[in-house]
Amino acid sequence: MTGVDLTHRAGSAVVKWFTEPVPKGRIAAFRTVVYLFVVADLTYFTTWIRDHVDVPGSLYQPLFIGRVLPLPVPTPGLVTAIFWTLLVTSLLAATGRFPRLLGWTVFALYFEWMIIAMSYGKVDHDRIAFLVALAVLPTLGRSRHGDRTLTEAGGWALRLVQIAVIATYFLAAWAKLRYAGIDWLTGATLTRAVLRRGTWFSNWTVEVPGLLIFAQFAIVAFELFSPVIFFVKPRWRYWLVAYFYGFHLVTYLALTIAFWPHLAAMLCFLPLERIRPVAWLLSQLDRERAPSDRGPTPSPAPAEP
Amino acid sequence: MQNETDDAQQRTERLSRTGRTIRVAVALVITGLMIVGNQWGEDDHFPFGPFKMYSSTDPLNKPVPDTRVEAVNAEGERFRLTMANTGFRRAEVEGQIPRLKTNPELLESLADAYHRRRPTRPKLVRIDVVIRWWQLDGARATGEYTEETEVTWTAAEADR
Repeated sequence: MTGVDLTHRAGSAVVKWFTEPVPKGRIAAFRTVVYLFVVADLTYFTTWIRDHVDVPGSLYQPLFIGRVLPLPVPTPGLVTAIFWTLLVTSLLAATGRFPRLLGWTVFALYFEWMIIAMSYGKVDHDRIAFLVALAVLPTLGRSRHGDRTLTEAGGWALRLVQIAVIATYFLAAWAKLRYAGIDWLTGATLTRAVLRRGTWFSNWTVEVPGLLIFAQFAIVAFELFSPVIFFVKPRWRYWLVAYFYGFHLVTYLALTIAFWPHLAAMLCFLPLERIRPVAWLLSQLDRERAPSDRGPTPSPAPAEP
Repeated sequence: MQNETDDAQQRTERLSRTGRTIRVAVALVITGLMIVGNQWGEDDHFPFGPFKMYSSTDPLNKPVPDTRVEAVNAEGERFRLTMANTGFRRAEVEGQIPRLKTNPELLESLADAYHRRRPTRPKLVRIDVVIRWWQLDGARATGEYTEETEVTWTAAEADR
């Protein structure tokens, strides 16, 4: 085999990996979850963004992207308008209808919402993967819930979200090296975090010599090894995803910090098409009604979604 | 649910050669931007800045800062300005301290935010940004602290 052949083969393997097909039903489910999360984020998880409505524009410090794009300085009217438009469009988008039109609208509005959120002196790092999810979903057309047809375009979209999820871990280890150096491992970062934000779950840990240092080694090891998720069999992949969620659960219990949008985006690793609450509910209703009907009703496929 | 036998005829929607090339290129560009931003970017480059959550480190016994914003109103009452009564987060105050130090008059905007949220309350005449440094010993708070007032703004006489 020649070198050219090898390169060609490696190249097509990479391309295959980037576009590994997934069932269209998974896209439909992920889409619904992502857009419903936007609603939850607006109204429950990140409500402080809307509080910027009363903060005068002089305290607005636009990010690089806000200086490059001609984005307006937020006014009470603008913040309120974005909030409500985003709420309505993401609810509509969650139904799966007009996926491109509604998808791009939600992406643009949510991105501006984030720029407003991060332009007053503090940038959060909990939603890159979620932004990627919002950016790739509109590239996909209509997908029905439960559809088992495979799609390469959908596989690419989910792959990109997966990469962003894992990059959030892997690059976080890299950033520790950049900002603190190898000393981070034996430093006092976790101790100080617990002192500042500790809970009943974590306060005792500062008393145990070496425990939080060990935890720092464990965190960096987990972050650096997170990309192995791309190289293991599905069964192990699900265990790793469970481990990631477990990590965030412990972080939440210990410091009351949770990367909610990241957690929503991470669902892209799971066979979501198998969970169909609406179809299940309809079939249960159907079964209850069936005995009284007495007709030879051929049970139709569950309706959408 | 469909039958397992469907698996045999499972259809696959393939991408065209161009569609595939474009998508792989986009994936590589986005991944590349995340890596470059992580190594050379700053928070300012959101969404391609560094993933620097908890990435700093400090000596174990370096005092822990606790920032607060205090206001005094026309009736002489002293109280805290928080996210609840201004809409401005504590971390945002911390992030803008350097800018506030050079432009203390910006704190007037915080007073404006407060007045929008509490229109019936007396006017603010003074705002202080204070950092309380908690002393540590053996990674435990000793209960002792020192305080530094970083920025102060007082309302002009005419506004009182």
